Amino acid sequence: MDMTIATNLIDICAVSMLLLSVLSMTTLRMAPLIRLFSYQSLALGLMAAIVAYSSDNPHIYIMCVLTIGIKTILIPRILYYVLERVEVNNEAKLAVGVPGSLILSGALIILSYFITEPLLATLETMERNCIAFSMSVVLIGLLTMVSRRKAISEVIGLLMMENGLFLGALAVSHGMPLIVEVAAFFDVLVALIIIGVFIFRINRSFHSMDVTNLRRLKE
Amino acid sequence: MMEAGFLLFGAYLITIAVCFFFKDRRVMSAVSIIAACVAIVSVLLILNDMRSTTDFIIDMGPIYIDRVSLFFMSLISFVALMAILYSRGYMWYEADEGAIRFDELRKYYIVINTFIMVMYMTFMVKSLAVIWVCVGATTLVSTFLVGFYRNDHSTEAAWKYMMLCSVGITIALIGIMLTYAATIGVIGDEDTALDWPILYAYAAGLDPSLMKMATVLVIIGFGTKVGFAPMHTWLPDAHSQAPTPVSGMLSAVLLNCAFYAVIRFYMISEAVLPGFAKNVLLIFGILSLFVAACFIVVSRDIKRMLAYSSIENMGLIAIGLGIGTELAIFGAMFQMMAHSVTKPLLFFSAGNIVQQYDTRNMQSITGVREKMPFTAFMMGAGALIIVGVPPFSVFVGEFCIIMASVSAGAYAVAAISVSLLAIVFAGFVMHVFPMLSGHTDRDVSDPKGRIRALPFMMMFVTTLILGLFMPEQMSAFMNDLASQIGGML
Repeated sequence: MDMTIATNLIDICAVSMLLLSVLSMTTLRMAPLIRLFSYQSLALGLMAAIVAYSSDNPHIYIMCVLTIGIKTILIPRILYYVLERVEVNNEAKLAVGVPGSLILSGALIILSYFITEPLLATLETMERNCIAFSMSVVLIGLLTMVSRRKAISEVIGLLMMENGLFLGALAVSHGMPLIVEVAAFFDVLVALIIIGVFIFRINRSFHSMDVTNLRRLKE
Repeated sequence: MMEAGFLLFGAYLITIAVCFFFKDRRVMSAVSIIAACVAIVSVLLILNDMRSTTDFIIDMGPIYIDRVSLFFMSLISFVALMAILYSRGYMWYEADEGAIRFDELRKYYIVINTFIMVMYMTFMVKSLAVIWVCVGATTLVSTFLVGFYRNDHSTEAAWKYMMLCSVGITIALIGIMLTYAATIGVIGDEDTALDWPILYAYAAGLDPSLMKMATVLVIIGFGTKVGFAPMHTWLPDAHSQAPTPVSGMLSAVLLNCAFYAVIRFYMISEAVLPGFAKNVLLIFGILSLFVAACFIVVSRDIKRMLAYSSIENMGLIAIGLGIGTELAIFGAMFQMMAHSVTKPLLFFSAGNIVQQYDTRNMQSITGVREKMPFTAFMMGAGALIIVGVPPFSVFVGEFCIIMASVSAGAYAVAAISVSLLAIVFAGFVMHVFPMLSGHTDRDVSDPKGRIRALPFMMMFVTTLILGLFMPEQMSAFMNDLASQIGGML
């Protein structure tokens, strides 16, 4: 494959990941939020495949398979299962409204360009925008975690942060050592299962997934 | 070395298997105690092996043990034994009183032994990435211990703990990713590019702008788990809601685990950008000390107060590393040791009191000395030790850190630390001693059983000895440790 085509394709994947992150700030319901996350993971998986092919680095294929297998298929399945079992109203509660969230996301994207500026000069191998995109996805994931009040949307924020992290890893250093990647996926999966257990417990204790109930412990 | 490692992990794996198959609580407790003793023996064997090497380092495959690792391993081996001994009385009482079901005891022993094993692993591995994996795994395992009681409060604490620490380690992984990006260009071999000794050896050639960002992210990320303010909010919740033996472990060794990762990174970062990591740690240290001092004064829940005291101690250790002279680092490491030995003493005394009085509110507890003299003595002594009354061990650490900051010319840091420590002192005295004195009509008494009293005696004697005198070999070890962390060896 021609190098420029590969670069363009990688950019397309990175941009679509960022756009899906921004789009997730506008969704008001849980099920579409989970779907957006799975699309974002698919974009990450495709990007891994392109990087693996263009840099001729076969171990990144493993990351591609893991991303698509675990993050695009398995984790959304688990989340849908949890969502069905807890049978609460499907709406995402917002602490910050949709327009506010979008403005904040825009500000975070500019901020990421600003903080990654010193790195752009030193790194030659990476695709120029990807590191800023990666930081934006991480920050928007963090914003999702603090501005959405349902347990599942907090989890999705965390998972999107992780996607942003892997986007950065692919762009900056063509992935990380295989053991780290495999361990990180394993970590996410186990964390998700434990989170699922605790979502059931929150739901049983408070009859809702609203994490604003979790404010009783204080001085 | 190999034998010691097999002994350590073998003992814990066998213990976990035994707890899985035998439901008798006497068996589970006995096996766990034996495993904790075997672990102490294997740490001593490792020490013995290290003394026969020239540079005091064991480096085999994925295993890398130097002074820093050994220091942390010996702390965990001590605290783990204390916690397991205390669990026998405490958790059995909980089961007898119906606070937990008998089959939950089995879950408790399985999870706590796994937790200890993962923490040992953190200190023994060579790659920064594997350290990250182990620190992440400690969160996953200990979430079940934090949420062990199935009530609203512990569910809330476990949820916060899980979410905040997961975000923390994700941020730390971004930092590690940037480190990898910096090293892969210099080292080239992707399998060893994150190995700690290699990173340390090549540190001078790493790209400073990447490492700067990586340092900030790693300190924030792992710092979330150390309990640096303002990322500390999970800590008082988790420590107050977990079963008391676990609170002691969380405070005395889990925070150390994350701090170990910070120290490893601090050493690399100081070689690349002298002074940068120090400043970051100094800021977090002073902020943590400030927040902890304020909350110690206003807290009413005894276990939350002790949790804030852990934040205070971690802040002080960060200040010691932030000053970064040899004396300051010595003080920080001594403080870490003194805190790890003393804090379980306080948590376990608080556990005795809470179990008898059935409340954690310090204002509704009086007359502990009248009815529970042993616990009252330990609680009072522990409180005096942890606030830094001479001649106990914590005083030595605090004194070294303050002295070092004065002699390094950081007068403002010294002044702020001393005044905040004075507030902590006042807060502790104000809360703890009214609880001990006075009279109570409630039917309470010291918990019976020699095994339950044993960890108290051992911790009290150890912390007393540490403050009064140090064997020559140990002080030589601590000095070498301080110079190694300071990059002067």
